[in-house]
Amino acid sequence: MSLWTLYFLLLKATLSSFSGLASLPILREDFVVRRPVLTDRQLNTALVIGRTTPGPKGLYVVSLGYYVAGYPGAAIAWAAVVTPALLVVAMLGVAARFTGDPRVKRMLRAVVIASAGISLSATLPLGIDALTTPLAWVLAGASLVILLRTEVDTLWVMAGAALVSLAASALHLKAG
Amino acid sequence: MTAPPLAPLANVFLRIGNLTFGGGGPTIAAFQRELVDRRHWLSPEQFALSYALSRITPGTNLFAFCTCTGALLRGFAGALVALLAASVPSCILVAVLTAGFDTASRWGAVNVAIDGAVAASVGILLASCWSIIAPYVTRANGVRTALLAGVSFGLSMISTPLLVLGLAAVVGWFWRERE
Repeated sequence: MSLWTLYFLLLKATLSSFSGLASLPILREDFVVRRPVLTDRQLNTALVIGRTTPGPKGLYVVSLGYYVAGYPGAAIAWAAVVTPALLVVAMLGVAARFTGDPRVKRMLRAVVIASAGISLSATLPLGIDALTTPLAWVLAGASLVILLRTEVDTLWVMAGAALVSLAASALHLKAG
Repeated sequence: MTAPPLAPLANVFLRIGNLTFGGGGPTIAAFQRELVDRRHWLSPEQFALSYALSRITPGTNLFAFCTCTGALLRGFAGALVALLAASVPSCILVAVLTAGFDTASRWGAVNVAIDGAVAASVGILLASCWSIIAPYVTRANGVRTALLAGVSFGLSMISTPLLVLGLAAVVGWFWRERE
């Protein structure tokens, strides 16, 4: 498969999705079923890597690109993942013209509130997957309280949770 | 609000975009804390605009958010710097990790640390949900805000996020302010 074909297939999948893993069915159809350049096992491994690395879960696409064409494939996948983001600059230009309109303001506000509800529903599968031990519940609860009550940097909260998890593991307690 | 120079802007997007575990939600929550609450580079209204636009942009919401925020802060140069800083290192990490996945997955300590960070990201997401809607929970509009968030939560379990956002936009169009 040429790098151009790889780019356009990945771009097609990312353009047709609006959240991290929504492109998965399209990618599976293109890379596993129609053109068997990947296996389901590689697809699953890519998902695990996207899930366990920092940043958006959608980065599993970069892992897919690596499996198809090595480091050049990963670079092409990065390009396919970031290309749609540039659309927002044009959208911002249009939106900025109308942000003074009270109706547009109320629409944006409603979209933001709805997004919070959607994020909450996205928290459920993450919670079901991550909160499998009492220690994990404690870490999640403590993180929530610290963030709501203090000015501590989120990165320190995550680093602290990772350290507590390591310390607990040394004491034979598990966070996940 | 003063526009930050490109170097500190790159530093913030590099640090938060590449060091926050748990996906786009916790990362955007970390950006909100840093850009709105700590550095005051963005007003809550600018954050809301950036957040709303990123949700309706195709592709990865987080990268759209970074691009939009960078554009709000420093124009097109800011958009490019924010997008590159937030995406390149984590993509390199993903590629390297893919190349050595079988070896890395055998390091138990790495998995244990990630488990802890991912558990924390659940708390971070919940805190983020609250901090997003908190400005709209007023005496006049609190019930409607809670209702809209609750219905969106329920609908998103059975429908696509884009449809839910579209319905919310229609609701917003007809939303009448109460003083």
